[in-house]
Amino acid sequence: MQLADRVEAIASAAREFTWLDDLTAQNIERWIALELGTLLNADGPQIYGDHHCTAQPLSPILHVISGNTPHAGIQSLTRGILVGAKNRVKLPRQGLAEFDLFVQLLPAELRPEASSSLRQDWVEEAEAIIVFGSDETVEFFARHISPRQRLVVHGHKISLGLVLGPHDENTVEGAVQDVLVFDQLGCLSPQLYYVENDSVEFAKRLAARFNELFSGEKAASEWTSEIAGSLRNCREEWKFRAATEPETHVWESPSGLDWLVIHDPRPDLVSNPLYRTIFVKPLPQNLEPVLAPIRNHLSTVGVHPVDSRTTELAIRLGAQRVCPIGKMQKPPAVWHHDGCPTLANLVRFVDIEGLIWNG
Amino acid sequence: MNAAIELRILDFLQQPDEREFESIALAIYAYQREQNPAYSRYCEFLGQSEPAVSWKEIPAVPQQAFKRAELRSFPASETVIEFRTSGTTGEGFGRHFMRSLRLYEASVQGGWDYFRLPRHPLLLLMPHAAVARYSSLSRMGSILTNDRNDAFFLDGNGALQVDRLRKIVSESGGPFTLFGPALAFVNLLEVIAELPLPPGSILMETGGFKGTNREIGKADLYSRLSECFHLDFDSIWNEYGMTELSSQFYSNGLGSAHLAPPWLRFMIVDPKTNSEAATGEVGLLRIFDLANLWSVLAIQTQDLAVAQGRSGFLLLGRDPEALPRGCSRPIDELIRRSISTKRETSGSIANSNAVGGPC
Repeated sequence: MQLADRVEAIASAAREFTWLDDLTAQNIERWIALELGTLLNADGPQIYGDHHCTAQPLSPILHVISGNTPHAGIQSLTRGILVGAKNRVKLPRQGLAEFDLFVQLLPAELRPEASSSLRQDWVEEAEAIIVFGSDETVEFFARHISPRQRLVVHGHKISLGLVLGPHDENTVEGAVQDVLVFDQLGCLSPQLYYVENDSVEFAKRLAARFNELFSGEKAASEWTSEIAGSLRNCREEWKFRAATEPETHVWESPSGLDWLVIHDPRPDLVSNPLYRTIFVKPLPQNLEPVLAPIRNHLSTVGVHPVDSRTTELAIRLGAQRVCPIGKMQKPPAVWHHDGCPTLANLVRFVDIEGLIWNG
Repeated sequence: MNAAIELRILDFLQQPDEREFESIALAIYAYQREQNPAYSRYCEFLGQSEPAVSWKEIPAVPQQAFKRAELRSFPASETVIEFRTSGTTGEGFGRHFMRSLRLYEASVQGGWDYFRLPRHPLLLLMPHAAVARYSSLSRMGSILTNDRNDAFFLDGNGALQVDRLRKIVSESGGPFTLFGPALAFVNLLEVIAELPLPPGSILMETGGFKGTNREIGKADLYSRLSECFHLDFDSIWNEYGMTELSSQFYSNGLGSAHLAPPWLRFMIVDPKTNSEAATGEVGLLRIFDLANLWSVLAIQTQDLAVAQGRSGFLLLGRDPEALPRGCSRPIDELIRRSISTKRETSGSIANSNAVGGPC
């Protein structure tokens, strides 16, 4: 299938998902052009400096998908299809319904082979392996694959928000929405906000907005016992701290475990069980040493406002992506996932010198 | 006042009368509300202004509270002993202070005898209390052996005295009780393939593998222990206790309930509502320990359990790794990783559990 047809097939499937609305044919073409120029074109090698070059897919590509958000799997498969690779997917044991639906919307010849168990032959045959998962999973693959195979890893990440200067209702709304998307399970979801001005007030406003959203007749969130237990543990621990430590405040959904906002005056990183649990902390004088332990795991920093001050701070902290608060789970199609190009990583560049092309 | 309550509890421990449990519990609660400032503030925070009318209404502190505050129901200057949690989660250690060891000693020995656990010689896979002065488990070992130094088989450097253990077991005729943390047994199994214990012996394991990256399933552990020590499963016991408590639950074999002595009660709490769970429902384990006069009577653990009648529960434990987290990384995991050893993984990729977990 030609590149243009592959682009159209992906854009067509993506139209069925509101959260993939950035994946239009036009955006995909722009993405390819930004990363690979015209090197993927089927009509032969392209002029590249004083010689010619073509981009050939690493194929087959093995995608090891884990987690509970379909984003990662669809993104990864999309990249493999665009470069023209044969794709094989190792899905999580519990399956991934949206991913399956996306695959069904593709033409048969673009559909990947998929399995919920990992096949040794797939690992051995792959020219590239893309791994989404924990550090343990990533380390495991790093030890077991051959040096000739390209390993692209997307480990687990931490994201957070920075609110500098005055904040308004839009900031609060954006901050709440970022927490709500995928119930915070995405690696781009915020686990905490550092707030420069009146962090207690910001936390209060977040809580008030959550309360509005979850009041009324909406059914209480149905979590498994494990999740509910971990959310209850967090609530009770922080209520104890609120009772015994100054400037510590807790706001929780009036019944059930729908949401939790915690104001913690200490800048230190703390454990977060997620599922709509958000910490608000005052911005310390120097945030860099506080975040040093997670520097290599920092993904997205949502900021307000998006200006040179917030952007420079986020970059210094190690951010791989900086975006407005409210857009944390909506990276553009052309973003550098975990700081790297996403298509150029999956091809072999072939340089051809002295070519007289007959095509 | 406190001397009178202590005597009343000691009487109960020696001659338990179930009808007395509630009035003693309420007296302890009233005492702790008055004498324990951190607990008192917590109760006020929860809006508990009226005296409790049932032991089930007594506010329970989250187990984590022992890491956050000094939960002491007597003047600090009168402290005679301090037990500490291991601190393996990376969030510091919890501290349990006591004004006297009388209740602790009576509870440890009383619980052992209540379950008719044998009084034959103990072989303890733990360091002596003089070496591990903050270890409640070592103190328990001291109590059960009348502080016999030669009953302890772990030296101050954490090394197991395997040769001495082997010699005593093979040269002495009588039955033994081999008692220690599960992790110590795992270490022992790595260096000895077989060490048959004399008939009538039992084995008591306790604790888990928190923070060690040395996970092993209970069924697997019991199977290996049974083979190594020539014991049937019913001769293998589990002690469920914690530094924050003064009393212990016991179970024997696989799949059996943990049972409490009369001065120890529990309640299964629905994490969604934080009130008593319906019969047969999984919930968080809340414990009421009359021997905890010097700290807090009621503790909400982080463990999930299901009640088995009034006197026992099946422990499901807690496994933060089992929580589906998508690709959002747990901050506490980073903290833990910095203090724990790297996980050892081997074998073929396809057979590995490192692949395809929740994320």
